[in-house]
Amino acid sequence: MLAALALLCVVFASQSEFFLSERNFTTILRNSVDLAVICAGMTIVIILGGIDVSVGGIVAVSAVLIGRAYQLGMPDWVVVPVGLAAGALLGALNGAIISKSRVPPIVATLGTMYIYIAVLFLVIGGVWISGLPNTLSFLVLGDAFGVPSGVFVIGAVYVFSWLLLRWTPWGQRVVAIGCDEVAARLNGIRVDRTKIQAYALLGVFAGIAAILYVARLRNVEVNIGTNIALEAIAATILGGANIRGGVGSLIGTLMGVVFIKMTQNGLVLIGVSSLWETVVIGALLIIVLILDSLETRRTS
Amino acid sequence: MPDTLKISMQGIVKRFGGVVALDSVDFELRPGEVMALVGDNGAGKSTLVKTLAGAHTPDEGVMKLNGERVRFTSPQDAWNRGVATIFQELALAGKMTIADNIFLGREVTRKVAGIAFLDRRAMRRRSKELLKELDVVVPDIHTWVEHLSGGQRQGVAIARALNIDADVIVMDEPTAALAVAEVRKVLEFIKTLRRQGKSVVLISHNVQDVFEVSDRITVLRRGRRIGLLETDKTTPEEVVGYITGAAETKSRRAVAQETPA
Repeated sequence: MLAALALLCVVFASQSEFFLSERNFTTILRNSVDLAVICAGMTIVIILGGIDVSVGGIVAVSAVLIGRAYQLGMPDWVVVPVGLAAGALLGALNGAIISKSRVPPIVATLGTMYIYIAVLFLVIGGVWISGLPNTLSFLVLGDAFGVPSGVFVIGAVYVFSWLLLRWTPWGQRVVAIGCDEVAARLNGIRVDRTKIQAYALLGVFAGIAAILYVARLRNVEVNIGTNIALEAIAATILGGANIRGGVGSLIGTLMGVVFIKMTQNGLVLIGVSSLWETVVIGALLIIVLILDSLETRRTS
Repeated sequence: MPDTLKISMQGIVKRFGGVVALDSVDFELRPGEVMALVGDNGAGKSTLVKTLAGAHTPDEGVMKLNGERVRFTSPQDAWNRGVATIFQELALAGKMTIADNIFLGREVTRKVAGIAFLDRRAMRRRSKELLKELDVVVPDIHTWVEHLSGGQRQGVAIARALNIDADVIVMDEPTAALAVAEVRKVLEFIKTLRRQGKSVVLISHNVQDVFEVSDRITVLRRGRRIGLLETDKTTPEEVVGYITGAAETKSRRAVAQETPA
């Protein structure tokens, strides 16, 4: 993965002298923060053997509630919990549908994705919410101790997730369910509850991403969250997580995020139309899945 | 009788729709004995085991553990009372380490700033001890369970039962699908368990294995117990006779002949 990142840098640097500048890297970092936060949750859900294609919808609903709350003149200490609670609730709803109905996660969250997006349209009515306050912008755009503050946000989320996943009984349950759900049940693990918790955690992270999004752009537009699921799943899989569950790496995912954001940034710098972004990411995702599937066939 | 049975089941009936899987079955297990449970496919072995394991609740009948009436509501419930069933699938998580598997669902934790974190060192240490007691040889305690051999996996599954101090260990076809050397190893595990004073129920198709390790043999046929034999006082031929029903027909004929006209 590191080699791939280095190769990517070389390719783009040879095409654009601006690519390797400090300012460009800061830009890449700032654009990565919300995706990185979501990906920590996505990694846990994929290790659990699940997937959530509705994260973009959760970000959208959280962002629109945050926007409306600001418009009503509410202070940050009200707005932030509203965004987080919305994310947690929608995530938990996904988890509840998946664990109680036994509908495959990809189908269940595809359904909720459209429901959440519909909520966005119903609230926003096709008009941007804009001119929102910049009180939280420092979280993404500011610096602390000479380092972009996004580094600290990402660091906090990833350290928290890593401790949870690798150093608590809850994390053990997640991995065990991802390995073999029936076996986990036989070991007395409350599978349904753990699933709901994992999806709710991803929801909370999507809520944080929504807060960061609003803080960065200070508006909420109608197509918010469109490509987030694709990017998050691609970054997680690129980072070494197994789509069949049980295996995944938070550090790997983080590198996957950097890889994707660097690719997007590089493509823009060398003058490729932004329409190609999703083509490239989608193709990458499929290639990695094919390689993984070949690997599995070889070893078994 | 002064020495209490570890487990006694009387008149156990289990129906699935119209099918009577267990037709008033009696079963008993003494402390420190290896009881083999044999029977043809569909004889009711796995239904009986699942009842013993808490996965099925019987429709009728009484089950006692150490002389006390019990009713297991789930496999977890049975485990918590010291009756550990090791199913054929072993219920291991392939992509987790040996120690993680042994402690799955009952992790050792240490509080740091009020939060319960895994005490990985303690779990590793205890896992090594358990594997040593059983004489399970594994390359490395950090190995993923899916990279272990079938016999080693059985060893891990048994170690997990020992970790919760189970005193009844039920093993469902532990030697099926194992290479010869591995079968030997698993039979050694069973003998080790008996030496430690554990009671073992061994479900097996393999009469040879049964004769090597068991003290007594329960034979099921068509949902009934048709034989309870002392391993020392019977022969493989007789047991096979019971399993296939040959012995049953013979004894019935004998009874018919003795009945005065």
